[in-house]
Amino acid sequence: MLITQLKPKETIASIAGSKAFYITCEGCREVYFPEEEAAQLREEAAGIGSLVTDYICNPDNLMFQLEKHMEKLNAADTIVVFSCGVGVQTVSACFTGKKVYAGCDTYPLPGGQGVTPLEYDCDQCGECHLNSTGGICPITACSKSLVNGQCGGAKYGKCEVDKDMDCGWERIYRRLEAAGLTDSLLYPVKIRDFAVE
Amino acid sequence: MEDYTKFRLKGNDELIPLLEAGDDLFILACNKCFKEFTAEDEPECDELAGIAAGLGKKIAGCAKLDFLCNKTLTQKRLVEALPQDAAKIIVVACGLGIQTIADIADLPVCAATDSVSYGGRHGMALTQKLCQACGQCYLNLTGGICPIVDCSKSLVNGQCGGAKNGKCEVDKEKDCAWENIYNRLQAQNRAGELASNPIELRDYSKVDYKFISSYVSSIREKRLDGYYGGLHPSERKELSEHIGLAVFPEPATVVIPLSQHTGAPAQPLVSAGEHVKLGQKIGEAAGYVSAMLHASVSGEVTAVEPRKHPTTGADVLSVVIRSDGKNELHESVKPYENPDSLTADDILEIVREKGLVGMGGAAFPTAVKLKSAKPIDTVLLNGCECEPLLTADHHVMLNYADDIIYGLKVLLRTVGAEKGIIVVEDNKPDVIALLESKTSDIGNIEILEAKTKYPQGAEKMLIKKALGRQVPSGGLPLDVGVVVSNVSTVKAVSDAIQKGMPLIERVVTVTGEKIEKPGNYIVKIGTPVMELVSYCGGVTDDDVAFKLGGPMMGVAISDLNVPVLKGTNGVIAFAPEDSEPSECIRCGRCVDVCPMELYPLYFPKYAGAGNWQGVKDKNVRDCMECGCCDFICSAKIPIRDAIKLGKKEVAAMERKD
Repeated sequence: MLITQLKPKETIASIAGSKAFYITCEGCREVYFPEEEAAQLREEAAGIGSLVTDYICNPDNLMFQLEKHMEKLNAADTIVVFSCGVGVQTVSACFTGKKVYAGCDTYPLPGGQGVTPLEYDCDQCGECHLNSTGGICPITACSKSLVNGQCGGAKYGKCEVDKDMDCGWERIYRRLEAAGLTDSLLYPVKIRDFAVE
Repeated sequence: MEDYTKFRLKGNDELIPLLEAGDDLFILACNKCFKEFTAEDEPECDELAGIAAGLGKKIAGCAKLDFLCNKTLTQKRLVEALPQDAAKIIVVACGLGIQTIADIADLPVCAATDSVSYGGRHGMALTQKLCQACGQCYLNLTGGICPIVDCSKSLVNGQCGGAKNGKCEVDKEKDCAWENIYNRLQAQNRAGELASNPIELRDYSKVDYKFISSYVSSIREKRLDGYYGGLHPSERKELSEHIGLAVFPEPATVVIPLSQHTGAPAQPLVSAGEHVKLGQKIGEAAGYVSAMLHASVSGEVTAVEPRKHPTTGADVLSVVIRSDGKNELHESVKPYENPDSLTADDILEIVREKGLVGMGGAAFPTAVKLKSAKPIDTVLLNGCECEPLLTADHHVMLNYADDIIYGLKVLLRTVGAEKGIIVVEDNKPDVIALLESKTSDIGNIEILEAKTKYPQGAEKMLIKKALGRQVPSGGLPLDVGVVVSNVSTVKAVSDAIQKGMPLIERVVTVTGEKIEKPGNYIVKIGTPVMELVSYCGGVTDDDVAFKLGGPMMGVAISDLNVPVLKGTNGVIAFAPEDSEPSECIRCGRCVDVCPMELYPLYFPKYAGAGNWQGVKDKNVRDCMECGCCDFICSAKIPIRDAIKLGKKEVAAMERKD
């Protein structure tokens, strides 16, 4: 699950040939895709054909969806794909002899890999710290991903890096305090092991 | 399919001290996501319980839930699962699940797992490591091969020079990505582009976490507005919303099935050869839950015989009338004297006698709905028309606003409710403005603007949105003091009382990408669908499928030689969607969109195995078949078919008991 944003109009105009075929993936549906803007762009571009479908990252499904459009696809000089990077590569693997272009840039949902991403919560670091931090992740809740307590830069509970953000370590302390568990912070100094995967 | 489980149990060196530190442990495991849906629950939970038991720890309980990171649902499930004597919760899940539990539980929460990164593996199919989501897609320069993911060094300006025989120097198993890029571009005669492109620099600031989190939260807000779940299918109402309401030409022959409502089929009152007048009763309700039927034209009954029913596909007894084109009124069609002095019982009798049923699609007899055994305080009028494409109710509200308000007042009097609320989605601002101006001086009628979201118009969603009340599982709106009615039905109530006119016609939208000239028509009940389609210019090409109703909940029809029913709000023609189901990958989307807060992924799973008890336990009867799960399913599984079958089998199973 990723976020996609359309590339600038001029970029898309410059890559699309005179006989472009547009493939739009709405698999992640309205959740992470600028559906209306893509439709408008497609309309303005007036290519030789267009397919709006879903879940093109699944190669079997993609082939199934392409079947009806093969004639036009073969005649196209370029195929412009509005989807995340996975979708573009799935299409491009189907048409290795053709110019397959990405109409979107793809952004990660770091920490939001669950099925209902709400907040940037888990960085999948491979060495869960939550047991000593009251269930608040210091990797994602602290701008600096510190694992041994506050940096000292916070003012009035707000982070010095981003003043809109609560200091993660203050949140951790408050939650442990409320539960009478501040002792759990008395662990030996931790060192992050980036080799864990 | 590979297993992309995002967590693994911590080692004993961490687990043992963790378990030893407490007692009365409650072990909570997530059933994982993005993996083949084979086992119904995961082994780590039992493994952990085993370790704890080996240490002599008291286990207060174990539970395995689906999608722990789904806060709304997990909150409810946790209340049910958490034993009273639990003192500590140990969670087996990825970091998201653990933090969700830590946020909602009052007890100390511990993680028994480490979360594992699956960076680059995204999309629904998760077949290959493909996209790192760098925010500056290079695929246009590289022939659709990603240099960030496929090159060990994520180089963006060509080869490092370390590759030998096409293999990477970092990992000899791996192809050199830049060699693949070069080969592909050369095959397309594009290798020269590599030389002419300016030097690329990766801009790590492109990934703006603030943008991402605000984007995600705005989208979640949209999804969770008013009630949990639901979705925003593309509306395409512009095809017909600005086309004014017109009277459909008189049909030559009408076919009126005696069963077009919920409940027992009506008994025919006429036979072949008889002459009938417009509005004459031709079918008598057979039982309490049933409805009267009336002639929608004047003319000769040519047959009373089985004809194909549009929604069930079966042959059902129908009255066929050949119109004489005169529309001669039957003597029973006349306004009631002193309508304001009619009692609630009088009105119920009129509503029953005039054959009124819910016109939103379900066609439930209105008289039965209005005769509530429980006190009613609010009447909700559904003017949402949340189905994509349809604009019938939209035009009913624009053209018959006074009748709707009259009908609502009658309903309020009949059920003894204090308040009436007309709920309209915000995609119909003209209707909202009109109704607001017409009701501004009526104290107990309110217009409520709802955000456009499917299925806003479903009874239970509407009640939650408008009144914040939750209809209990297996319950009805009257359990929370509410009657919900469709705006078209209320217009028909007004006609019945003010004109004495039974339900013999309705507004139908004929639309869809494949209809030549979409429109909104007042159509006589019994008019062949075929006539509607050809009057609208027919279809644009042969690759077409039809539905009666909207695209989400409508019934597919293959034969157009079927009549319009009281519940037919639309005829749509669209390009059939080809798809082939694959295995469920537990992506959890169906759970995310189910407005009834069910776990739809289990229905096809259990139905396939004939496990009807399992289907029942997952509350199949709460499903209203809105189709959100079908619409979003990444594996293209026809979930709703499994649900329909499941409901039938569960009912059969219960009869046997």
